[in-house]
Amino acid sequence: MEWQAIWLSLRLSFWTTLILVAIGLPAAHWLAFSRHRWKFLVEAVVALPLVLPPTVLGFYILVAIGPHGPLGKAYAALTGGMLPFSFQGLLVASVLYSMPFAVQPFASGFAAVDRKLIEASWCLGVSRTGTFFRVIVPLSAPSIVTGMILSFAHTLGEFGVVLMVGGNLAGITRTVSIAIFDEVEGLEYSAALHTSLLLLGISFVVLAATYGLRRRFWDVWPMN
Amino acid sequence: MADELRVEVRKRHAGGPEIQAALRMPLAAHSVMVLFGPSGAGKTTVLRLIAGLDTPDAGSIRCGEEVWYDGLWGVNVAPQQRRVGYLSQEYALFPHLTVRGNVEYAARDGPADDLLTRFGVSELAGRYPRQLSGGQRQRVALARVLAARPRVLLLDEPLSALDAPTRVRMRADLRQMLAGAQVPAMVVTHDRTEALALGDSIAVMIAGRLRQAGAIASVFDHPADAEVAEAVGVETICPARVVARGGGLVTVAIEDARLVAVDTGETAAEVFACIRAESVTIERSAAGNPTSARNHLPGAIVSVVEEGPLARVDLDCGFRLMAIVTRQSEADLGLRAGEPVIAVVKATSVRIVPRG
Repeated sequence: MEWQAIWLSLRLSFWTTLILVAIGLPAAHWLAFSRHRWKFLVEAVVALPLVLPPTVLGFYILVAIGPHGPLGKAYAALTGGMLPFSFQGLLVASVLYSMPFAVQPFASGFAAVDRKLIEASWCLGVSRTGTFFRVIVPLSAPSIVTGMILSFAHTLGEFGVVLMVGGNLAGITRTVSIAIFDEVEGLEYSAALHTSLLLLGISFVVLAATYGLRRRFWDVWPMN
Repeated sequence: MADELRVEVRKRHAGGPEIQAALRMPLAAHSVMVLFGPSGAGKTTVLRLIAGLDTPDAGSIRCGEEVWYDGLWGVNVAPQQRRVGYLSQEYALFPHLTVRGNVEYAARDGPADDLLTRFGVSELAGRYPRQLSGGQRQRVALARVLAARPRVLLLDEPLSALDAPTRVRMRADLRQMLAGAQVPAMVVTHDRTEALALGDSIAVMIAGRLRQAGAIASVFDHPADAEVAEAVGVETICPARVVARGGGLVTVAIEDARLVAVDTGETAAEVFACIRAESVTIERSAAGNPTSARNHLPGAIVSVVEEGPLARVDLDCGFRLMAIVTRQSEADLGLRAGEPVIAVVKATSVRIVPRG
């Protein structure tokens, strides 16, 4: 059993989700409420990872974070380290790859908040930021949780992008899906079966817990 | 000059009529101005422009010395800085907060126990909005707005979300709450009874234009033109005093005249008696057969104005009373200025509306 790979995948998913909340909440706020003329372009870019082959996305990310790429140069200048084939590089790739899974549920949750409540808050003298955290976020909590779960689960199962950007370094970039691929390649079917079953179990438990919580908790959320 | 809310704006919504409004509201602590007009006249838009929730196409909005909006100078103050207490039709209480949470959401003076008590909702402090009745929601919304210490209150159809019996009860309550709030208020309504019960002054808006403004009784009694008259209804509105109650009826005095009306449970002593011109019957003498009508008011005709097939008869029965009769009746009865007549009005045709 590839405990090391499983632990790595969980860590990667955790940090990816955390970063996506930090980036995704403001991004989704902009997408939900902006009336900017070119908003549709940003929407398209955010949704790209949904349709792009992971290899294509992975390739571009690899070039961007490579020693000659803009991100790679900036990272090297800041930390002296390199992004490709490192956990940090994997994190950058995962964040981009799972972006739509966080931003889209966030944005649709925000857009569903009754405009009258937002305006009431403004008229009561509460700033846009204050209104965001005190009215919009609490009222779209179910959507935010959904976005977080989807990002987590999606990162847990990613394969193509990880392979392109991170390679297969045990303990650093060897995630659980790559470990399974390796096991199958090496004809170790019983190990692959165990690891797969564990991944299936984790995914199912996470999703079941989410939907269960949503039923029990969010339904009593006073939504009028 | 300084202590006024002055609004002069133009606004066209895509596909809607152009709204042009110029109005002044004194910022005296107890003044209530009613923005009155049929649905679709643009009343809500004017309120939203004042609140800063919509931006006019041109014009200016000033509150006292402050400029809130000026199209020429490019000034547009954010709603947060205007400090208006805007109450939308459905009250917009935050569903995820309790009554206390809602009232204290933007309270400037810390805990809001005072306000909760004043609005009679302190027992409900721990409840959520969905557990409240319509009337309770309105009180909580008003308390929440006042907790932020607004300079002006803007209420959009404050009673329309309530069912009919609650509406009648809340009308009197709202008037008292507004008087107690010590904040000037502008109230949007399309209901004439509400306008009478709540307002000191009125501005009538029709099809996007502000048509007439002034004291309520004067606008209702002397509409500037036919459209305003149609909007406010042809009606006699007289300040009256309740002198007796009993048997489901209420007797009011207008000057020396007495009128009997159906008691609707209003407890105010100072009221308006409202009689639609269509429901006044004119008799030549009192010698006729007994009728079911409770009010027989002797008086004299002041003037007769013919309008198409109808005639508007202005009567003096100790107070001015407007009647509309057909031209045929006018001729048959020989109605002319100066002639003595008797005005007959059923008790059910006299509406009593409390006066502030």
